[in-house]
Amino acid sequence: MIAEFLTWIRFLIFRKKHSELDDELRFHLEQSIAAKVAAGVSPSDARRQSMIEFGGIETAREQCDRQRPGWWAGIISQDARYAIRSILTHRWFSAAIVATLALGIGLNTMVFTLVNAVLLKPYPVPNGDRLVSIAGRNLSSDDRSLPFSYPDFQDYKAQASSFEFFEAVTSEPGVLSEPGNPPDQYQLVRTTAGIFSMVRTKAFLGRTFLPADAQSASAPVVVIGYNVWQERYAGLTGVIGRQVRVNGQPASIIGVMPKGFRFPDNVDLWMPLLPMPNLDKRDSRTLWGYGILKPGVTSQRAATELDGIAGRIASQFPANKGLGMSVLTFQQRVNGGPIRIVFLLMLAAVGFVLLIACADVANMMLSRSLNRQREMSIRTALGASRWRIVRQLLIESVFLSTLGGILGLGLAASGIHWFDLATSTIRPTWILFTMNYTVFGYFAALCILSGLLFGILPALRSSKINVVDVLKEGTLNVTGHRGAWLSSALVVFQFALTLVLLTGAGIFVRSLLDRLAVNPFIPADQITTARLHLPEERYKDNDARIHFYDQLLPRLRSIAGVSHAAIASGAPGMGSADEQIELEHFPIANPSERPWISFVAQSPGYFDTIHLPLQQGRDFNQTDGASNHEAAVLTRAAATRFWPGENPIGRRFRLFDDKNKPGPWITVIGISANMVQELQGRDHKPLVFVPYRQEGWDNMALVVESAADPLQSMRKTVQSLDNELPLNEPLRLKDAIAEQLWFLRVFGEVFLAFALVAMLMASVGIYAVIAHATGSRTREIGVRVALGASRRNILFLVMRRGLWQIGCGLALGLIAAFPLTHLMASLPNGSLSSDPSVIFVVAFTLATVGVFACWLPARRATGLDPIRAIRYE
Amino acid sequence: MPTSTDLLQGTLDLLILQTLALEPMHGWGITQRIQQVSKDVFQIGQGSLYPALYRLEYKGWIKAEWGNSENNRRAKFYALTAAGRKQLRSEVETWDRLSSAVGLVLGRAVEASQ
Repeated sequence: MIAEFLTWIRFLIFRKKHSELDDELRFHLEQSIAAKVAAGVSPSDARRQSMIEFGGIETAREQCDRQRPGWWAGIISQDARYAIRSILTHRWFSAAIVATLALGIGLNTMVFTLVNAVLLKPYPVPNGDRLVSIAGRNLSSDDRSLPFSYPDFQDYKAQASSFEFFEAVTSEPGVLSEPGNPPDQYQLVRTTAGIFSMVRTKAFLGRTFLPADAQSASAPVVVIGYNVWQERYAGLTGVIGRQVRVNGQPASIIGVMPKGFRFPDNVDLWMPLLPMPNLDKRDSRTLWGYGILKPGVTSQRAATELDGIAGRIASQFPANKGLGMSVLTFQQRVNGGPIRIVFLLMLAAVGFVLLIACADVANMMLSRSLNRQREMSIRTALGASRWRIVRQLLIESVFLSTLGGILGLGLAASGIHWFDLATSTIRPTWILFTMNYTVFGYFAALCILSGLLFGILPALRSSKINVVDVLKEGTLNVTGHRGAWLSSALVVFQFALTLVLLTGAGIFVRSLLDRLAVNPFIPADQITTARLHLPEERYKDNDARIHFYDQLLPRLRSIAGVSHAAIASGAPGMGSADEQIELEHFPIANPSERPWISFVAQSPGYFDTIHLPLQQGRDFNQTDGASNHEAAVLTRAAATRFWPGENPIGRRFRLFDDKNKPGPWITVIGISANMVQELQGRDHKPLVFVPYRQEGWDNMALVVESAADPLQSMRKTVQSLDNELPLNEPLRLKDAIAEQLWFLRVFGEVFLAFALVAMLMASVGIYAVIAHATGSRTREIGVRVALGASRRNILFLVMRRGLWQIGCGLALGLIAAFPLTHLMASLPNGSLSSDPSVIFVVAFTLATVGVFACWLPARRATGLDPIRAIRYE
Repeated sequence: MPTSTDLLQGTLDLLILQTLALEPMHGWGITQRIQQVSKDVFQIGQGSLYPALYRLEYKGWIKAEWGNSENNRRAKFYALTAAGRKQLRSEVETWDRLSSAVGLVLGRAVEASQ
């Protein structure tokens, strides 16, 4: 075995000399002749017969060569050298191809990196590929992300055999406070003690939980995140052991987690899950599970096992009836639904861009194959087989696409960086947009496949030539109509795909512009909002909260530069609560038939703050909202909806809470202009404003109008009343709205960029084809001009094919674009416009650009000097 | 007499190895020996002999050396290597198994095929 291998290596490296074989063959021939002469044949006949018997010496030599291990490597390297020489000879041509492919492959690599991070890559912890999210599931509906109770958790953990680890957390806002340091609100989880060992992460400073920390008698502890440590404690190591208050309760900091560790999702503070009064109830469902599957166990199997346990629990405890369990990866849990569809749409879009790029390059190669016919015929005449020529051309294509791909990697890296920044505030921190082996594999496959894709047609065409014709004629016009047909088809295909892409981008842009244009009366860049959460321990009831708000409002208004201040349950465009409504004298017995409204609870002065005009009736006064003085202001649209054609002032209605309990009768006292409170979704409910005395919530938004940024003063004012109250989500309204619309904005920009690249490529494609066609018809055009054809005739002659291609492309594209609008409009988050007018706008734009791209080379043709044109070639 | 007999794939290699097992030989000698021993049934075309010789050499089963022929001409002599001897044994075994199997299928006694 070893001897054979060594021989193989020896011959792989060292070649035999050709002369050796020649000597050997000559000896053989001489022996053969000698044998024949000895048998009585005349020497000349013997020689002739032997030569015939022997067959082709060349063939024998080649056959012998082919026995050598690795003989094909020589051939391939010969082809590769030839390819590089040809790429370098046609430098500009190659550069154009490489640039086109860099765009195509770069965009694809970028998007695949994103898709990989969002849909495929495991959570970035050790064993992340076996990490799963475990939640309850409603057996009778599609809802598979429900929390479960602590007793359920204990049963599952004790009985399930699929998991190496099974931990549970419950999350809530956590206000961190201590004397002399203003309070901040963070994301807090209370968790079972094993969570850190489950993801094999140790504390950066101090320690994580010990089993003793989870005993109710032990001293309360908190582990803080790296970001909290940096922002709130300026990275001081003395923070370990510090006594703080979390949501008003004392705790000591025992550890700081490493940078970037926010498990499970954007968490800042971790506390042990301690026995609490409600924790042991079966129907108190507040926990979310996380687990590590045992090796070889699929999440389906784990889910089936948990479902079985759930069934046993349900037969014992009726409260659990109809509940199952779901075990999903983080990606499946968080990025299912619309996010998944949008990322796949993105992948499809860049796939289209790459196809368009390949079509462009194929067209360039086709037009050059005309000029290379001589080269190919000479090689064929010298004995190169068709396969050899095709192979050499394909190697050239793959070289070009790999060059383009490598350039494209740079493009991909900057695209990923941009997307990373654009989504940094809204995406889960565990989604890391980095490349891994999967991405590089995809990238390599793209380079090779796109090289083969755009190379194969031109290569087959170039190699299929009639040697004699080409060498004899020496003209450029041998290809005839078949090549033209092929490149026309490619252009049509490009325009169809581009129209589809532009339509997708147009829908995003249109929807974004629609949303940005709402509520034009609100000076969004003058308004600052922040949320307050009044904890139940200190603000027991509605009266206590109203008392606090009533003290706060005059102080806010007295801040220098503040023109208006108010409190509302939701700032404009930031969403609202929904309740069912019943009009007086129109009772509806069946609760499911009652209409829904959105409502905003507000302090007096809210309409002035957001500059919402009152059209009829009056604003709220200080007594509105007190018992027996329940009042409401409706938008015009809501009033028209409920009392069409009547005066709504003085009418009464009541609202039903989620337990189907009716509230008191509310009198309509005013009508405002229309306003959009909900930027997401499509079916907006009628909007009703009520005084905050009626609905005094513990979580309200401060809405302050001020030219200068009043945030510092707002924080001081609030904390002068309650020094443990942080200001949450402080934002200029403009930025808050922009954040609400990130989905449309980010993906609108992404798809628009893709579509514009596609349009550019399609235009370059049609330009190149028309320019080439015009170039090869120079003599014909010259003759026509000489015979008296007008400029218009020539323009039409040259452009006719281009116009046809654009027309066919647009028609095909329209057929595909209509279903696309339906698909996008049906996305579950419902923020995309389904207006078909977008299609016509983009079709018109694309047609204009395409015609312009045709007209450029055509215009040159009309300026031809007939004498010179006829002498051309 | 058939001018050419289609040899089974790999059979030529076996014949060459067997021929060289007796003594080192040059290419012409190999064709003559095979033709003679097979009573003119196998006439190895030169176009297939030399590629086969090169293949066997590249595999390390035979090795070549220049020497002088019987009529004192420079000729390349091929000889079996140790690996080639092993290969020959296993190929002969395979051949025996195959031919006896074919014999069985054709309804001949096993002895008849040997």
